[in-house]
Amino acid sequence: MKQKTSEKVKQYLMFAGPGTILFFCVVVVPFVYGLYLTFTSWDGVSRAKPFVGFQNFADAFKDKVYWQAMGRTAIYSIFAVILINIVAFFLAYLVTSGVKGQNFFRAGFFVPNLIGGIVLGYVWQFVFNRAFVAIGKAITGGAATSLLASPSGAMFALILVSVWQYAGYMMLIYVAGFMSVSKDVQEAAEIDGCTHSQAMWNVTVPLMRSSFVQCLFLSITRCFVVYDVNLSLTKGEPFGSSVMAAMHVYNQAFTYKNYGLGQAEAVILFLVCAIVGVTQVMVGKKGEVAA
Amino acid sequence: MKRAIALILMLAMVTALALSGGSAYAANKVTLTIFNSKMEIQSQMEEMAEEYMDTHPDVEVEVYYSSDTVAAHMSTKYASKDPYVLSMVDAKDIFSLGPDHALDQTGEPWVAETTQAISVDGKVLGFPFCVEARGILYNADAIERITGEAFDPAAVKTTADFQALCDKLVAGGMEGPTGLQKEDWSLGAHFMQEIYEMQDDPDAFIAGIKDGSVKLAEDPVFNAMMDTFDVLKAYNWMKQAPLSAVREDTEMNLAQGKIAFKFGGNWDWSDIKDFDPEEHLGMMPVPSALEGYNEKLVGGGSKYFFIDNSVSAEQQQAAKDFLNWLVFEEDGQNFLVNTCALVPAFGNITLPVSDPLGASVKSYVDAGAMIADYRYAPDDHYAKVGISFQKYLADQIDRAGLADEITAYWATAEVGAH
Repeated sequence: MKQKTSEKVKQYLMFAGPGTILFFCVVVVPFVYGLYLTFTSWDGVSRAKPFVGFQNFADAFKDKVYWQAMGRTAIYSIFAVILINIVAFFLAYLVTSGVKGQNFFRAGFFVPNLIGGIVLGYVWQFVFNRAFVAIGKAITGGAATSLLASPSGAMFALILVSVWQYAGYMMLIYVAGFMSVSKDVQEAAEIDGCTHSQAMWNVTVPLMRSSFVQCLFLSITRCFVVYDVNLSLTKGEPFGSSVMAAMHVYNQAFTYKNYGLGQAEAVILFLVCAIVGVTQVMVGKKGEVAA
Repeated sequence: MKRAIALILMLAMVTALALSGGSAYAANKVTLTIFNSKMEIQSQMEEMAEEYMDTHPDVEVEVYYSSDTVAAHMSTKYASKDPYVLSMVDAKDIFSLGPDHALDQTGEPWVAETTQAISVDGKVLGFPFCVEARGILYNADAIERITGEAFDPAAVKTTADFQALCDKLVAGGMEGPTGLQKEDWSLGAHFMQEIYEMQDDPDAFIAGIKDGSVKLAEDPVFNAMMDTFDVLKAYNWMKQAPLSAVREDTEMNLAQGKIAFKFGGNWDWSDIKDFDPEEHLGMMPVPSALEGYNEKLVGGGSKYFFIDNSVSAEQQQAAKDFLNWLVFEEDGQNFLVNTCALVPAFGNITLPVSDPLGASVKSYVDAGAMIADYRYAPDDHYAKVGISFQKYLADQIDRAGLADEITAYWATAEVGAH
């Protein structure tokens, strides 16, 4: 059945039209306008937007603090992504292995993801600053300081909270992956002489590859642009040692009033994030197999 | 048929979207949006808005607050072309935003009643909401309980006096008699700026740091202030983890007499009053070994209202009426002085200041013992210098390192136009 082009356009507009218009308005237009702003030295409030060419990009490459934040973000992302996925995978394994009340556990592990990042950050800030300190004091009987007061402690806290937040979400994708692999294949492998864990690693996991690709993509992109937890949990403290790339971009644009420079740094962050994400998906997709 | 239904559904969705864009407007009412940047009076502001609407039925008052810094929040509002009619900002924001966005209020009745209004290029742009000052907050009751003698703040002038008193308090059983905030604005904007403000000519001093003719590490005012900072730091009740100090905890301890001193200002009262404070609290200048510097508080007009010049004439008029209401009507004055416990910046307001910290400030103002605010530090000054101070507070760098970092900051920073 052949359709005329006008029919196709009509159908597209009917089903995807509102979505396209919204996407265009809230993503494409601001993005293009943002690109334009990278070529100006606008301070964010004045009426004049002087054109400066590529000066902002040159400055962005010279902004040492930005690249420190970028490096910090990379370290944070590597640890968080690996831990999120390991934890999520084992949670998924646990709640598909037939333990009693597994639906309850599934819901329970997923709940942290339903709390907004800001609220979650404040809750954990309270836990780190008050609860843990009080427990520490009770145990040692002396002075106990908050994890959030030292640079490495703050980083650790950020990673811990991110893992706690995202593991439940990624778990759902892994659960779907486990469910999509037919029990028959695993049984066949076990009949052929595999142990249970051998069947798991050599049969089930390769068949779940698409779940891994998805989870890695989601966790990498989310970690790279983390802002809400960063803001409410550490606010960049102590002494600016936990400022992630996104927070630095925000500060640069709105607090330090270098809107153009901040925007240029945001574009660079976007490119880095896009390159890492797309490469990972391409590499991951290559080896996908189907049963 | 199916197609028709789908079409109707789509139309319905699009209309719903369009409708949600514009909020319902009450007919013939002028909407006065007010941005409040004093977190501690947000609930008072909201209650005042209700009462104001009762007496001014044709005005719809909406009060907003943001936990962002003022300058950052204003940037986002102006970047999205959605300004407030009336915005409460810091003095420096009047200089940066005012020329482009603020309405000229020259000739308004309130202008004649204050010395604290901000004018740029001969136009009156900023309405002073209150007078605030920085210094050392003390709890005289707590001190007298331990020393057994009447506490006279004027007798604690030098750093050595201050340290001696702290020693006495520690010996008397008060573990950490002082409190220091870890917030970058308290360290970078309040403490560091006192060092500029105490100079004879702050502009020349900063220019000197920039061109190298002033060595910050050798500057007598800097060193005298840092000596006092070291005392505050050494006797800090949160000495073990100064960067975990929670502002409200420190204020509570001061209110209840567990500590005796805190670096801060009269704005702390709005929190302290909730902690059932003891009777004799007050403010005194930051002790300093230098004669003449330890007898004055630092401050002046604080938090300024400006009216946006792009909103409708009715909204501008409503905003002007509101400002004059604050200054000239009994309800407005009562709101400023009693409800919000602020020190008013207007000579015609004669209501007695209700809180002890404000009363201290007013006594220094009346005696002319005030050092003026320095209002032209760049927007990133408090954040970046604040970070250096936090490092110093956590013993990551020493005083020379702090001076180096501040000097390095000024190498690229530019003071605001004035």
